Amino acid sequence: MTLQGLAQILASGLLMGLIYALIAAGLSLIFGLMDVVNFAHGEFLMLAMYATFGIVAATALDPVLAAPLVVGAMFVLGAFVYLAVIRHAMRAKANIGMVQVFATFGLGITIRGLAQHLFTPDYRSIQTSWLSGRTLDVAGVFLPLPQLLGGALSCLSFVALYFVIRRTDFGRALEATREDAGAVALVGIDKNRVFALGWGLGAALVGIAGSVMAIFYYIHPDVGAPFALIAYVTVALGGFGSIFGALAAGLLVGLVEAVSATILEPSMKAIGIYAVYLVVVFMRPRGLFGNL
Amino acid sequence: MNRREIILGGASAVAVLGATGLSAQQPAEVLIGAVYQMSGASAQVGVDAQHAFDTALDIINNAHDIDLPLAKNAGLAGLGGAKVRVIVADHQGDPQKGRAEAERLITREKVAALIGSYQSAVAVTISQTAERYQVPFLSADNSSPSLHRQGLKFYFRAAAHDEMFSKAMFDFFDGLRQKGHKIETLALFHEDTIFGTDSANAQQKLADERGYKIVTNIKYRANSPSLTAEVQQLKTADADVLMPSSYTTDGILLVKTMGELGYRPKAMVAQDAGFSEKALYDAVGDKIEGVISRASFSLDLAAKRPSVGKINEMFKARSGKDLNDLTSREFMGLLILADGIDRAKSTDGEKIREALTATDIPGERTIMPWKRVKFGPDGQNLDADPVLLQWTGGKFVTIFPQSAAIAEAKWPMNA
Repeated sequence: MTLQGLAQILASGLLMGLIYALIAAGLSLIFGLMDVVNFAHGEFLMLAMYATFGIVAATALDPVLAAPLVVGAMFVLGAFVYLAVIRHAMRAKANIGMVQVFATFGLGITIRGLAQHLFTPDYRSIQTSWLSGRTLDVAGVFLPLPQLLGGALSCLSFVALYFVIRRTDFGRALEATREDAGAVALVGIDKNRVFALGWGLGAALVGIAGSVMAIFYYIHPDVGAPFALIAYVTVALGGFGSIFGALAAGLLVGLVEAVSATILEPSMKAIGIYAVYLVVVFMRPRGLFGNL
Repeated sequence: MNRREIILGGASAVAVLGATGLSAQQPAEVLIGAVYQMSGASAQVGVDAQHAFDTALDIINNAHDIDLPLAKNAGLAGLGGAKVRVIVADHQGDPQKGRAEAERLITREKVAALIGSYQSAVAVTISQTAERYQVPFLSADNSSPSLHRQGLKFYFRAAAHDEMFSKAMFDFFDGLRQKGHKIETLALFHEDTIFGTDSANAQQKLADERGYKIVTNIKYRANSPSLTAEVQQLKTADADVLMPSSYTTDGILLVKTMGELGYRPKAMVAQDAGFSEKALYDAVGDKIEGVISRASFSLDLAAKRPSVGKINEMFKARSGKDLNDLTSREFMGLLILADGIDRAKSTDGEKIREALTATDIPGERTIMPWKRVKFGPDGQNLDADPVLLQWTGGKFVTIFPQSAAIAEAKWPMNA
């Protein structure tokens, strides 16, 4: 392996890692807020990709310009899912954890089934955009523009999240609701409103990832599943509920995947990810940055 | 269907039964179970297969003036004009679900025979279940050679398997070498289930026998989120021919990633699957002008077999797509299976098996480039000649063998 080849693998791994982190961020946010693991996260990603594809197909707008619309729509969808499904699942009297798991799991299957019915299981992809197929050549290391955009948006999203959570009233309300959802009612914070906004934000984050991925990935009703699996590992690795843990873990997963595909047989590259995960869980059960 | 429709339907059924006086002469229906992936990553294949079967049922159950088995009269003459119906079951791409669905179709739906299943890995469990219940299984579009080597008596495959396909590829390479083209090194890129590994094993063996050097042999994880590291290895190896064995999703990602990493293979010869799917060419066809794929079928056969054009029109009216390598085999598979049942004059598994063993259909009475359909003792049709197609100007052109070729191959694709 040449030095250039190595640089290529590391660069590709990092870019993919930033996208994994972005997908995991929304999952981590929702978990941190209300201890609910959203098993429909992969389907949210799939919907965002279809939304991008749909807007591009209907209006001939560039996917980059369609992205804000998609992110807005995903925000509304996230809030709606909380109000229509999760809020009710959280009212369960017994076994509340299982009720939530089954509610989001069932939601995921329903969304996937509807997508297959409405969009057909055919594979779609966006043919033309400003970025698709264009690559930056840095001394023989190829950096595809769509992935670069994804990486940049991922970094920006994490910076924005940092400010929202640490510097705004909404962020403080999020933190407070997460600490004690009962007590915040006494100071006039509407728990349902905060949770709905939290779900909206989580879905909007995966919406960013979906609208960028629609440029360089194929789209079909099951496209979310492999990414969701990686997102669960990323969230657990980074520490449940830690958004910046998700960033670090996403980068780690991207790098480990790229490196293990090179030194092991590529069909075993997932083993590298799970091996790192197991080691971290043994040494530090709450994950890299978990504070539970 | 709402409650009122059910009641109305029931009432009219009773009226019809009364009118015909429950005539026992009415030929019974013959049921055939089709096990395909109707949900999940390859669900489109199942949906398309259903259209292919509907087209075949149209041929079987209605009278048509086309020179194909069972086309002339309506229904199965051997069973008093009985109509054939296909029950589709969803195996979700999972061998265990395939086993369960095959069992359900046989024991609960009482199907006379099974047809399936796209993924070879699922065909393994279906074929074993069919064998246990002594019900014939026609493997319409599975290409793994290990399937007919399981020693099963109720397994039949009319189409070629991957060794036959790979042999055609190497015959083609040998021919190019004789013409003075330089083909020394090959790169194999295959997915990690039975289809990909069997295909790569066959190619490895043929390469060793005929003096080609395999410079890299990449077994990758199917449905990977990223193939960057894999493509980087292909790029480093830069073989004379890249030979992928991939399903559609991975095929699209492979081509996109090659473009992103600036890798233009000198030539690409694919083991069908994803590389015969319209979706792949819709997505990335412009990036792989000149790619060659092996196939069981090609639309330009219509020049030699007039039935091809007619069947394609019937299929297209249903699906909005042209027949492809998979749907043609699914269509033909169901005709061959129904022809066996017709000649067996029975829905008994053993009788159908005997009739299928005696199948002898000349190639002209199929829509395929095959010499004929005649099953060997292991259930494999040895006369299923494959073809090689080249993707040029937005369509496939047959380039090999000479007897079926419409045009000369453009080689290498990226000079």
